[in-house]
Amino acid sequence: MNFKFNIKRALSIAKKEQFHIMRDPFTLTMATVLPVLLVLIFGLAIEFNVKDIGLTVHDSDRTFSSRKLVEVFSSSQYFNINPSRGSIVDAINDLDSERSKASLIIEPEFEHNLLAHGNTKAQFVLDGADNSTAGVILGYLGGIQKAANFKLTGTLVKEPIELKTRYLFNPELSSPWFIVPGLAVVVIAILSILLTALTVAREWENGSMELLLSTPVQPLEIIIGKLIPYTVIGLAAVLLVVLVAILGFGIPFAGNFILFGFGSLIFLIACLAQGMLISVLIRTQQLAMQIAMITGLLPSLLMSGFIFPLESMPKYPQNFTSILPSKWFMIISRGIFLKGADFSDLKLPFIGLFLLSAILIITATKKFKKDLEP
Amino acid sequence: MQQMSIGIKINNIKKKLGPNQALNGVSTHFEEGLLHGLIGPEGAGKTTLLRTLLNLLTPDEGTVQFTNHGTNIDYNSIRSSIAYMPQQQSLYADLSISEHLDFFRDLYQIPQDVYLKRREELLHITRLDKFIDRPAGKLSGGMYKKLGLMCALLQSPAAILLDEPTNGVDPISRREFWDLLHRLSKENILIIFATAYMDEAERCDRVHILSTGSLIAEGTPRGVLERENVESYDALFIKRAAEGVL
Repeated sequence: MNFKFNIKRALSIAKKEQFHIMRDPFTLTMATVLPVLLVLIFGLAIEFNVKDIGLTVHDSDRTFSSRKLVEVFSSSQYFNINPSRGSIVDAINDLDSERSKASLIIEPEFEHNLLAHGNTKAQFVLDGADNSTAGVILGYLGGIQKAANFKLTGTLVKEPIELKTRYLFNPELSSPWFIVPGLAVVVIAILSILLTALTVAREWENGSMELLLSTPVQPLEIIIGKLIPYTVIGLAAVLLVVLVAILGFGIPFAGNFILFGFGSLIFLIACLAQGMLISVLIRTQQLAMQIAMITGLLPSLLMSGFIFPLESMPKYPQNFTSILPSKWFMIISRGIFLKGADFSDLKLPFIGLFLLSAILIITATKKFKKDLEP
Repeated sequence: MQQMSIGIKINNIKKKLGPNQALNGVSTHFEEGLLHGLIGPEGAGKTTLLRTLLNLLTPDEGTVQFTNHGTNIDYNSIRSSIAYMPQQQSLYADLSISEHLDFFRDLYQIPQDVYLKRREELLHITRLDKFIDRPAGKLSGGMYKKLGLMCALLQSPAAILLDEPTNGVDPISRREFWDLLHRLSKENILIIFATAYMDEAERCDRVHILSTGSLIAEGTPRGVLERENVESYDALFIKRAAEGVL
C-alpha cells in the first residue's frame, strides 16, 4: 500500500481549514457563543434542590398540634401550602391536577392521640409520577419529621444510632458546583462533534473532495489536518467554560489546570474524531448534522452521568456507556475540578479516553474513501 | 526541466453506475504530448472515463495502462504527475487565488523557488495577476476556470485531464483558454479535454467521440470528418443524431 504520512500536507489542510473557520460566521458563532450560552442556561436554570413545592393540607383535626405540624412544613422554605378545598378526595385530586406535588392529611384524632398515647399519625401523599421530585421531597421529610417531633413534644428524640452526614467537595450541595464542571464535557462534545461532522461532508457536497482526491494527499493527512484547528477552537471553548465557572459561578477549581487541559485535549480529539467519522460515512451535511446531534448531544446529556447517575442504570446500558468518550471525561472533569484528583486517581478514565480517541481516528481513516465509487 | 511524457492506453473499459451502463467497452489510446478531445453530449460517459483514468472509479472490466515512450509504467509512480480539473466547481469559494496557489504548492510539495517562478508564469499567461487577492467565489466564470487550470498546472504535470473546462464560459475567455492549452501542448504535456461543444473538436490534435458509453469515432479532427463524409462536427452530430446514435 502506498501510504506516506506527510506532516506538511496535513498542516496545509489545517491552514486551509483555519481560513474557512475564520471566514464562516456560523462556525465562529457556534464556537464562541454556544459554550457561553450553554453554561449560562444550564448553570443558572438547572437546580436540583427543589423549592416551592405545592403542598395541599387537609387538616380535619384543626387543633393547636395540627396547626404546629403545618407550620413546620410552611417554615421549611421548601413548601408552599395550598389549603384543602373540601374533602380528602379533593386533597388527592390536587395531585392529579398538578396543583400540588404532595398532600398532607391530618385525621381528626391527631392531637388527642398525641396527648393520650404519646404518639400520633398524619398521612403524607406524594405524586409518584414525578419520581425525581418525589425523591427529593422524601429526602426533606427526615429533617421535617425531626423538627415536628421537637415542636410538638418539646423534646429531641434520641435515635439509638445516629449517622452524622457531611458532604465533601460540595458542602452545600450547590447545583452549579455539580452542573458546571460537567458542562465542560457537554459543551466540548456538542461543539466538536457538530463542527467536524460537517467539515468532510461539506467537501463532498461542494465538489472539492473530487479535486482533493486527485492530489497526493492521504486520508490521514486530511483527517489530522482538519482536527488541528478544531482542537484549538475546542480548547478555547473549554477555557471559556472554566473561566465562567470560576469567575461567574464562584466554583473553586481544586485540581491541576494542566491535567485538566490534558484530559480536555484527549476528550476533544475523541469527539472531533467521532464527528469526522460521521462526516466520512455521510456525504451530505444535513444528514451528518442530524446524526451528530443524535450520537453527540443525547448521549453526552443523558448517558454520561451529567445529570443521571450511571450507577443507577441497569448493568448492560451501564456497560454500554463505556464506549462514550463523555462518560470518561465526566469522571475526569468532576474529579479534577471539585475533588482535586490527580492522575493516579484518574488512570482508568484517562486510558479509556485515550483508547477511544485512537479507535475513532483509526476507524475514520480506514473508512475514508479515496475514490468516488457510490 | 525536462518533463516526463505520459501516454494512456485503455482497453475494453466497462463501468456501470447504478442502473446505467456508463461505459460500454471503450478502447483507445491517448498519445504522449498530444491534445486529445473527448467529445460527446451530456451523459455520453466523458466524466466517468476521466474518473476511471484517475483511479477515482474502478472499471468493472478492462484495463488502463500508462506508458512512457511506449513502455508500461506503474500508475502510483506517476500519480502526482497527473493533474485533474473536475467538471463541477471544486475550488474553495472563500479562498483567494493566492491562497489556492499556496494550498496546492503545499499539497504537491513544490519547492519554494520552483513555485514562485511557476506562479508568476501562470499568473502572467492567465492574466489573473491583478486579482490574486480576490476569493474564488467572486471570480467570473472564465477566471474561475483559469484558476482551476492554474492549480492543476502548478506542479508542472506530465498529463492533465480537464472535464468540460469551457462549459458556461464566455467566448473570449474560451478563446484565451484554448490559447493556453495550445501553449501547454507544445511543452509535451498530454492533455485530455472533455467537452460537449462540437466546435472545440477542431482545436484538438486527436478527437474521440463518445455516445452513450461507446466510442463512435476517433482520429485526427480532419480525418474523422473525411471518414464520416461531413464538413463540420456540427454536421457530424446532426447526422449521427438522425441515425439515432446520439
